[in-house]
Parts: sequence; C-alpha cells; structure tokens
Amino acid sequence: MKVGSLGRYIAQRLLLAIPMVFILLTLLFLLLHAAPGDPVTATLGGRLPPEELAQRKEALGLNDPIYVQYFRYIGGAVTGDFGNPITDPRSVVQIVLDTAPATIELAVAGMLVAVMLGVTVGAVSGRLRDTPFDIGGRLFGILIYAAPVFWTGLLAQLYFSVNLGVLPSQQRAGGFDAPESITGFYVFDSIITGDMAALGNVLSHLVLPAVTLGLLVGGIFIRLVRVNMLQTLRSDYVEAARARGLKEHVVLFRHAFKTALIPIVTIMGLQFAMLIGNAVLTEKTFTWPGLAQALVNFIGARDYAAVQGIVTFIALVIVGVSLLIDILTGLIDPRVRY
Amino acid sequence: MTSTSRDDRVVADARTPLRVRLQHAWRPFRESSRISRGLIFSGAGLIVAFLLLALVGPLVYPYEGTQYRDEVSPGTFITFPELAPPSAERWLGTTRDQFDILARIIDGATLAFAVVAVAVSIAMVVGVTLGLLSGYRGGRLDRIIVTSMDAVYAFPPLVLAIIVSFVLAAYISPGVPSAAAAVGLVYIPQYFRVVRNHTLSVKQEPFVEAARSFGARNRTVLGRYVFFNVVQTVPVILTLNAADAILVLASLGFLGYGVQPPTPEWGYDISQAVNDVAAGIWWTALWPGLAIVLLVTALTLVGEGLNDVINPLLRARGKAGRKIKAMPTPRREASDVDGERLAARVRDLRVGYRTASGPLWAVDGVSFDLKPGECVALVGESGCGKSSMGRAMLRLMPPGGVVQGQVEIGGTDVVTASESEVRKLRGEGASLMFQEPMTRLNPLQRVSDHFVEMIKTHLPKTSREQARAMARDALVQVGIPPTRIDNYPHEFSGGMRQRVMLAMSIVLTPRVIVADEPTTALDVIVESQILSILERLRVEEQVGILLITHNLGVVAEACDRVAVMYAGKIVEMGPVDEIFTNPKHPYTRGLVASTISLNTTELRSIGGYPPSLVDPPKGCRFAPRCPHVMEHCTESPPELTDVGPDQRAACFLYPGAGQPVPKGVVVPSGDPQVSGI
Repeated sequence: MKVGSLGRYIAQRLLLAIPMVFILLTLLFLLLHAAPGDPVTATLGGRLPPEELAQRKEALGLNDPIYVQYFRYIGGAVTGDFGNPITDPRSVVQIVLDTAPATIELAVAGMLVAVMLGVTVGAVSGRLRDTPFDIGGRLFGILIYAAPVFWTGLLAQLYFSVNLGVLPSQQRAGGFDAPESITGFYVFDSIITGDMAALGNVLSHLVLPAVTLGLLVGGIFIRLVRVNMLQTLRSDYVEAARARGLKEHVVLFRHAFKTALIPIVTIMGLQFAMLIGNAVLTEKTFTWPGLAQALVNFIGARDYAAVQGIVTFIALVIVGVSLLIDILTGLIDPRVRY
Repeated sequence: MTSTSRDDRVVADARTPLRVRLQHAWRPFRESSRISRGLIFSGAGLIVAFLLLALVGPLVYPYEGTQYRDEVSPGTFITFPELAPPSAERWLGTTRDQFDILARIIDGATLAFAVVAVAVSIAMVVGVTLGLLSGYRGGRLDRIIVTSMDAVYAFPPLVLAIIVSFVLAAYISPGVPSAAAAVGLVYIPQYFRVVRNHTLSVKQEPFVEAARSFGARNRTVLGRYVFFNVVQTVPVILTLNAADAILVLASLGFLGYGVQPPTPEWGYDISQAVNDVAAGIWWTALWPGLAIVLLVTALTLVGEGLNDVINPLLRARGKAGRKIKAMPTPRREASDVDGERLAARVRDLRVGYRTASGPLWAVDGVSFDLKPGECVALVGESGCGKSSMGRAMLRLMPPGGVVQGQVEIGGTDVVTASESEVRKLRGEGASLMFQEPMTRLNPLQRVSDHFVEMIKTHLPKTSREQARAMARDALVQVGIPPTRIDNYPHEFSGGMRQRVMLAMSIVLTPRVIVADEPTTALDVIVESQILSILERLRVEEQVGILLITHNLGVVAEACDRVAVMYAGKIVEMGPVDEIFTNPKHPYTRGLVASTISLNTTELRSIGGYPPSLVDPPKGCRFAPRCPHVMEHCTESPPELTDVGPDQRAACFLYPGAGQPVPKGVVVPSGDPQVSGI
C-alpha cells in the first residue's frame, strides 16, 4: 500500500467535508430561526416576569443582529461550544457527554445485530436467487423494514417482559445494578471493573432495544447485500474464478461475497442517519436515557437553544461518520485511492 | 450496459412516438420473472385494498374514529366500553378512551393517504423544479444547491421532520398540511438528484445541440428528454418514498409531533397504547401497527418489484420462459484408445438457454477432435455459438443453460462428470481464457493471491512459497517481471492483464486451453506476443488449443485447422491452407471473401443475417443467404461430408451430405477472393 496516495486521499476527503459542514450548519440556523419570536419567550414566556425575560435575552445575545448571532453560532460550533440550554443548567456539551454514551452503546449494538442479520440473510438470498429461501428472505427484510421500530419494541416488551417476564423493558441498568460509571458505556464499564453481575444486568437491558433497532436496519441490509451479491455473482471475475476450478465456497466467499461487502461499508455510513432517527424512537419506547431522548425532551420543552446545540452536534457527527466511511472504503478497496 | 448503447436508447427516446415508447417501457415487464411480477401485483392489490378502506370505509362503517358513544334513540346515548377486547360486536376492540379501534384504523388510513399524497407532491414539485434549475443553470448556483441537498440528505430524516414540525407549530396548528410539509421536505433531495443528473447529461447530448442549431427551443427538448427519463425512475422513488413517508408520519405521531390529538393517526394511537402494554393488553397496540406494516410492505413490494423490472442490472438472466428439460445422458465410460491420444474429443455437443420465446440452442450438435499440440480455430460471426461452445468445454454455464452431448478431456466426460470432477478439471486439465482482460481479475486481490489460491486448490500439498515460485515462473513465461507478483489488477494495463490471465491458464500445464477471443481487446503488438506464447506452449508442452475468434488473420498466423461455425453448427472443417485457398462451403467462401488479403481484387460481403436460433430453418441454416441455394436445401439439414483430404463440409453441393447432387450444378472452387463465392 502506498501511504502517499492514501494520505492524499484522506486530505482530499477532509477538504470536501468543510463546505458540507458549513452549509449544513447554515441550513440548521436558518431553519431554527424561521420560527417567530425569540427562544426565551417561546420557552419561558408567561412563566417569568417580563424584566427577567428581557435580561435573559440580553444575556444570551438574542438582541444582537441576526448575522452576529449567526457568526457566533458558527464560531461556537467550530470551536466545540454548542451553547447553553434555557431550561437546563448544564451546557449542551455536558448534556452530550452525559447522554451520548447510552445512545452510542445502543447504536453499536443495534448495528451489530443489523449487520449480522443483513449480511447472512442477504448473501444467502442472493446466492439462492428466486428460490423459496430468497423469496422468504426478501419478504422478511421488507416486513421488518416496514414495521415501525416503536411498534416492534412494544410487541417485544409485551411478549418478553410482560408475558414471559424474562427481559427488562425500560431504562438501562439502574440504581444498585448499574456498574460504577467510568466512561458512561455500561458494557465497557462493567467489563473493566470486572463486575460480572452488573454486566449481565446491563446486557439484559440492552437486548430488547438493540434487537428492535437492529431488526429494522437489518431489513435494509438484507436488501442491499442481496442485490450486491446478485451483481458480483454474475461478474466477469467470478466466472473467471470458476473457470480456474476454485471450490464453490471459495468463489462465493472470497470472490463474490467480499466484493459485495464494499458497498455495505458505504451504506453503513448512509444508514447512520437513519439509525439516529430510529434511535430517537427506540429510546422513547424503552425510556433509554440517551441523547435522542434528551433532544425529544428539549423539543417538548420548546428549548430552542438546547435543540440547536444538540442538532448541531448530531450534524457534525454525521459529517464525521461519512468522512470515516470514505477513508475506510479507501483502505478496503485499493482502486478508490486512485 | 455500455455507455454507447445507453446513449442510443436515449436518442431514440426523444424522437420516437409515444406509442412505441410505451411499448418499450412495457417490454421489461413482459420479460421480467414471474416473481417480480408477483411482488408487484400482490403489493398493488394490498394498496388497492387500503385505498378502498380509506375511501369507502368511512361511508360504510357505522362509527367514527373520535366517537365514544352511540345515540340509540334521540337523546339517549350509550357510551362505548373502555378497553374492550376484540369481539363479534367490536371486531378490533376499543381503546382506553373508549374509541372503536377499527373506526380509528379506517380514519387513520384516510389521513395517511392524504398526508402522503400531499407530502410526496411537495417533494416532487420542489425537487423537480430545483433539479431542472440547478442542472440547467449550472455554475455556482448548481454547486450551492447540490451541497445543500447533500446536507439535507445526510441529515436524519426523522430528526429533520421533527424540527420542521416544531418550527411550523409556531405558525399553524398541527394538522395535515404541517405534517405533510414536515414529511415532504425530507424527500426533496431524491427527486432533485435524479432530475438534475438527467438535465446535466442532456445538455451534452449531440441531438440537443443539433436541435439547438436548428433553432428549436432548448427548453422543449430538455423538458421532453428529462420527462421520459424521469418517468422511468420516478415510480420506484415515488412508491418507496410513500412507504417511508408513512413510517415518518407514524413516528411523528408516536412522538407527539404529528396531527392534533385525538385525530385518528396510527402512530399516535400506538403511543397511547404504551401503558396498555405494561398491563398486558395487546389489541390497542397491535392493530394500528399492523396497518402500518401492511401498507408500507405493499408499497415497498411495488417499488422493489418495479426496480427489479426497470434496473437492467437486476434482471435475471435465463429465468424467463420454461426450463429446458435436460435429456438424461447416460454416464459414459471413458475412454477408448482414441480418447487417450486426444487432447479433447467433442461429440454431438448441444448448448441450450431458456428465453422468453422458447429454448434456444446456441450450439446444436457439434463434433470435432483436438489433438495434443494442435491449434484448432473456431471461427464464425458473433452470435453463432462460438463462446457458448468454449464455455461448454468446461461446463461453465450461466443460470438456465444446459449442456448435452459429450466433451472428453483427459479421460473425463465433462458433460456427465460430477461437480467436483469438473471443478478439478477446470484450470488443471483445461483452461479457459476470456475476451475481456480488464474485468476478469478480482479487483480486491493481488495477482499473487489469484495464483496461490488456484494452485493450492488443485495441488493442496503445495506450500505457499512453492506456489509463488510457480506463479513467478508462469509470469516470466508470459513476459511479466516476477517482481510485480504482488501488484493489484488495476496496476496493470489491459495487455498485461491478459498476459496475467494467460499465465494463470498455463501455470498448471493443462492438456487443453480454450482461448475465447483472447486478443480482441488488445493492440496488434500484444496480440502477437500472446499468440507466440500460445504457439510455444503448443510445440513445447503439447497443449491442445481451441482458439475462438472472428479474426481470420489470427487464424492464419496461429492455427493448424479451422472449424467454421454458422448458427450453432459446424459447416466446414479443414486445414488452414485449404480453408483459406480452397474453401468448399458457400458460407466459408463468403467469410474468406470478406477479408482483405494480398489477393483481394474486390471485397465482398455476405448479404442478410443469421437465422433466429429459437426457430431455426428446417433445412440448411445458411440456405436463406446462400447464392447456390437449391430446392432440397430448405427441406433437410446437410451432413458433414468429406470434400477433400482432411476437409469436411456440410453442403448439398457435395455428394454424401444426404441428398443426391443434381446434374449440371457448378461447384465453386479456388480462392473465393479471386474466383468469387
């Protein structure tokens, strides 16, 4: 591997990400400032005396001209200052630090379920095209994609928590069961402290939300892996591999399947946005105390400042993830770098 | 699909009348697999059922979604029960708020269709307008819009919809318009992309420039072109968006940002059922969710089915039409004395494919021998079955393909052998070289990986180092520096890749190499390098080579004998010299006459086209184009018969082909370039 070409490729991607961040932030700013009135009045109007409202507005710089607010916003976002909520004494950064680990833990576990399910069912479906397995696999993929995650979640709760009583349906491990919080990632925390009881507890809380979320995203993976598999299976180099007398499983795995997985990495990046959207619903369904849940609560409280800060953070993460995916694709596929 | 053929289609699109274009659009449906059509129709059926529920349901069903009591007589009300389970009286039960669930499902369907229709319309109108504008104007405006659209597209759709409805709520009370706007905004980028890309590409089309030079209004051409291209893609996007939109609407409702409660909306209803679930009550959550799943599934089925049909990459090959029944061929015992001395022995080989209009026999009863150290050329027009022949030699068939007859290589009958025997033979007993070197190597594997994996498959006891040494030897033989063994395929030129393929074909010293137009894609210098390597293998290693080509120059340079194929059959076979200077079959004569050589006085070509192989002529397949055609030529097919020392032709001009030769028939002879066909 030539480090030079990879380095140049990464630099190129980084440069391309800058206008993207800029435009995304501008759009968000415009969107959130399209609402009439000012955030303080919208949030606290009627609850505080007018003098105090005016004071809070002045303190937050809401009396400045719109372009000053805009530049302050962009400057803050770039330097990692996402502002302060109106209804919460913590800064947005602190809120993100408190809640994001829960969301990331859920998202990673969900993605794991999705990839395992999608890749196996999708690849086998593609190989056995138009057989009953393929039709069944496709229908299953469509059905689980069509099921709203909150509905699947509720049914799972009904069956596993209420009827069978085997799995918890709410919250992460709480109270005395929670591991000593070091990083905020409970699975990780309980492993490094060697607290096996806590680990079991954490995992049991994670199962239902992760599987619910993973099923949904897995539906998309099934579809995509299957299509990619169909395309690589009929590719010239797969035929050539057969002509060299390679064993069928080598042809399937090393030649068809491996190349079919490249687009999956890209798709994982694209699905990340969808994963966040569905994390909002999953967290609400399972009262999972994550970032998405916090966002929904702030929207409910009409706290513009908090919403703006959290959404900005999400936007930056999305650009970061897509950058990461580009780099990852460059590492896997030698052709991309040229 | 190559870019040229795509452009051809596009040019045709903008000029042909609507009826033809509609027929063209319908064709993929006719050719699509039964499964794709099944998906589309079952999905469409479900959608119609839901539409009926949404439109007729409210008129037929006695209750309304927000009704909690019934007026039994004027002034007397009976309130509905709370949380009644499904029963004969209340089919789906009632909610905590005493609403009838079926009534809420019906009203929820009406609302969902209304919101989705408005949302998708908004997305389409805005997306298409911006796409046209952006693609047409180009420049800085285009760049800004494109990046904005990418930004919107990258953002989580649900979060975006929540923010929009959050902002909108400050202006209007939540209802169909605000929900539709929030949901619709999310899908603008998809329409934008499709339309912008088509607009951009049409600006560079030659026919648009031509139309412009004739003074046609640019916008008319643009509009038409974009319209007809978008019409193909939009139905897929539209149905998939509608499916997605229903989910987003329900999600908004579940989170409390949808329509004003207690308006019946499936997502909101599920959110109201959260507490029931903890109490073990299933019906309040189950039914609205089931409605969502069914409708979204139906829309997705239609969208996916359409995509299957429209996207040429996904169309199944060899799946249309009925399966060809493979004739039971008894397993033959290999082999007689003759077989041992031959590199390959082919007897009565037939290769068939399934097509929508019936089975097609691309190779129809071909027999020949290939001796060790001999190079036999297989020539003929494209589509005559040459390549099918080559693949059949290794039983390498696409789905729906059938091989019959006998191919004996090294004591194995390829046609009847077990899968593992054939696999063992491929690459070790017989190698196949392909036409397009650019796409035949796995882009993710180094060249060395290709070699090692192949050698270790056939010779499991070889170590990795031994295998690499063998690979280096083979590379040296084809003139590639062994230092490049660890390069990736994309680091080689086309000619070098073909030499790498050749090195892989010879690394295990097979008895037979089938080379399917190995030099077509390459320049003359590389071509002669490849041919001289094949020549050396033939002489030094006694490899039998079947060279498939349409290039008679290559044949003259490299081969001993020639087999001429026409419409699935061998029509003439003989030594190279005879075939070039004294061909017997009128088709061969036409073929030779149509090439340029030193003797060329007049370049001739054969008129007409090869016959359809789905329904071939009863008699001689060349009869419709033959200048010497006689009455009985159209009645029965001629047999191959001796026409000279080691030369055979299938033509009634010669005795032994199956019919007596009429008196007075002038048999053509000599060099067809001099004496005519």
